[in-house]
Amino acid sequence: MDNTDESLIEAHCKGDPMAFSELVRRYGDGILGYLMRMSGNHHQAEDLFQETFKRVHEKAHTFRGSQFKSWLFTIATNVAIDGLRRHRRMRVISLNQKLDCTDRNGEELGAVALADDSYEPLQEAAKAEQAQQVREAIESLPARQRATLVLAYYQQISYPEVAKVLGCSLGTVKTQMYRALRTLAQKLPDV
Amino acid sequence: MKNHLTERELIEYQFKLAPEARMKETAEHLQGCGECREHLEKLQRKFAALDLLREETKISEDLISRVIEQTEQPLRTRVVRFKKPVWISSAAAVLLVGLLLVAAQLSKDGTKKREAAKETILAEEKIVLASKPEITSVRGLDKDVVKKTTFAMAPKGKVADRYVAVGGAAAAAIAEQAPFAPAGAIELVTLPRRDKVQLTIYNSADLTLVRERRNLTLKKGWNWLQFMWANTLIDPTSLSLEPLAQGDKIDIQQLVFPASLRELGRWLIRSEVSGQVPFEITYFTSGLSWRAFYMGTLSQDEKTMRLSGYVRVGNNSGEDYEKAQTRLIVGQVHILDEIAELAKRQYPYNEPVEFDAYGGFRALEEKPERLDEKLIYAYAEKELDTELRRKEIVKEGLSEYFLYTIEGTETIPNQWGKRLLSLDAADIEVESLYKYDEQRWGEQTIRFVKFANDEEHNLGQTPIPDGDVKIYSQADSEGYLSYVGGTNIKYIPVDEEVELNLGPARLVGVEPKMMDFKTDNFMFDTKGNVAGWDQIRTWKIEITNTRTLAIEVEITRGFGTAYWTMQTDIAYEKYDATHARFKLNLEPRKKQVFEYTVTTYHGVREENWIRQN
Repeated sequence: MDNTDESLIEAHCKGDPMAFSELVRRYGDGILGYLMRMSGNHHQAEDLFQETFKRVHEKAHTFRGSQFKSWLFTIATNVAIDGLRRHRRMRVISLNQKLDCTDRNGEELGAVALADDSYEPLQEAAKAEQAQQVREAIESLPARQRATLVLAYYQQISYPEVAKVLGCSLGTVKTQMYRALRTLAQKLPDV
Repeated sequence: MKNHLTERELIEYQFKLAPEARMKETAEHLQGCGECREHLEKLQRKFAALDLLREETKISEDLISRVIEQTEQPLRTRVVRFKKPVWISSAAAVLLVGLLLVAAQLSKDGTKKREAAKETILAEEKIVLASKPEITSVRGLDKDVVKKTTFAMAPKGKVADRYVAVGGAAAAAIAEQAPFAPAGAIELVTLPRRDKVQLTIYNSADLTLVRERRNLTLKKGWNWLQFMWANTLIDPTSLSLEPLAQGDKIDIQQLVFPASLRELGRWLIRSEVSGQVPFEITYFTSGLSWRAFYMGTLSQDEKTMRLSGYVRVGNNSGEDYEKAQTRLIVGQVHILDEIAELAKRQYPYNEPVEFDAYGGFRALEEKPERLDEKLIYAYAEKELDTELRRKEIVKEGLSEYFLYTIEGTETIPNQWGKRLLSLDAADIEVESLYKYDEQRWGEQTIRFVKFANDEEHNLGQTPIPDGDVKIYSQADSEGYLSYVGGTNIKYIPVDEEVELNLGPARLVGVEPKMMDFKTDNFMFDTKGNVAGWDQIRTWKIEITNTRTLAIEVEITRGFGTAYWTMQTDIAYEKYDATHARFKLNLEPRKKQVFEYTVTTYHGVREENWIRQN
């Protein structure tokens, strides 16, 4: 069986239940990672993830062309930007919470860290603090700049492809990327 | 070569943003300029921080399942509904407008216009339907015809709606006799879209009243409207249909549930008009639920609080509700039957017992009336007359219930949950209260936030339903929040005080120490046995406030007996027979100490206490 993205989406449109499942598995990690970096919140990212694939499912019949990945990231970007507009995230610092006691998947780090002989609490705490600063710096970017940065830097999508995803010119992508980096240069911590 | 590279040039070089020629030029410059190389390395170190977030994200199987389930569900639940291709309605609309324009231009008198409109409607019908011979007599109907009908009503494809209007005997003069349930005379007139929908969710009884407004295109004469509830939790016995216009010219004759066609019902409508008529369809469903939760944000000085209330509405009813106005009933509703069970019935009113000779089904002219349905419809009547409003919070008292209308309209697809804002009150004056009561909480001080659900506190317009509440405090002027504590609140009626228990306090301590204990005033019976005595205890209570805020502390002390007296320099109240309560106000970062001596009376000494009191 020809298992290209395009053949899978076509099979899904024809009612093949396995095709959609295969697409979700194929792009699940990438899209979830993208949405987590966009939203900065695991639970919101999961909601956006569900919404993304719901839209893929609903719009599958409108897909034309050969670039499923770009199309998928376009949908994810639109969902993320809509989601960010709706849920302007409220930052919460718990007085009871230890520094970075959970990882980005929401799992407890404490137990794992203690079981590891090489665990160095001070360094871990400093690293967690820096990661938080990076997260905040990225979250401070305007949505389009953030999308550009995350797609190009973290998702390692080429600039021309990012332009396709965001529906703009290559020049615009590069300008957005530069602006994002210029802002980050001021806000990122020294590591 | 110019002097030094700018930061912009270095960033564009590092991230390959510059054109190829400039990249080359920059690379050459860097080879010969140590200062720029150093600047670049500094930037590289800076951007290396981005890699702290480069960890791989692994999607969980649970999330994959949820995604696949949400996309499969709607297709599964709509096996017998009709698809309304968009192009058909668009084509029909264009045709309608076109024909009307042509008719208006060509005809000079009103009669011609009416004829053109009639032609338009007929043309629309032809587009939508495969025409079938109209059956005016019930004779000759057989099971084969019924089967064909069923097949005709189950087209393939994705569906838009559960309603379809089916036409019957249409003629210039309306036949007096209602057509028999239309086993074979199925003629689709139009496919009405859901225009507006309103959900009233009675959470305590897993009951939701759905009110939908749809525009049905009727023909003059007898019309059939079909309703299907396959794979939903709709209670078919609760179905009701009312025209919202032309009420004197439209008569809803009956609702029938053909025995051979499961999970569908048909309304017989007699209309003296043709064209679009707005209708309201109401029914009960289960599977929709809601719960309230709250977020309180204390100001930095903790004298005021902003309280935001949310409602999470979940939909497992098997049906998507788009742009629904959502209303919630707070209070207990008693119902005779579980709606979910009713919905699962094969036949709406159980197995039909009266079969006629032809179609094998019976017509039910009236649905049985149930007391609680009446009650709920009565509430709903209030809603009917008002236009659906957007982005408002409307709260109304209804008997001992309370009706919440959630802000705006919301789309709640099946299997989805949605959080909606229900209240948002700022500057609610609150008191920070600390309580110490060993019998209730052991040796720890418990923190409370106290306010009242009244107008003075910018609330009081409505009772506040049960729900979890989380309290945050503004940690700094930039709006960062710190979590203070969470609790569950019970239903708070209007004008009632509420104390939110936020758990043990760390910055306020109460430490009781017993300083002295003695027994005294022994009394003996005639045999020389001890018959009564007093116990005298002296306690020192030390209260420490390490907070930067003034606080109120409430200390409750229990004595294990109702026969006691107390000597102390500070005020106290007798809380109940066996407890005394002290209330103190402490300045920021202050400590206060007080003592009391309590005498408890035992045995025959209790009588002495009674005489004294």
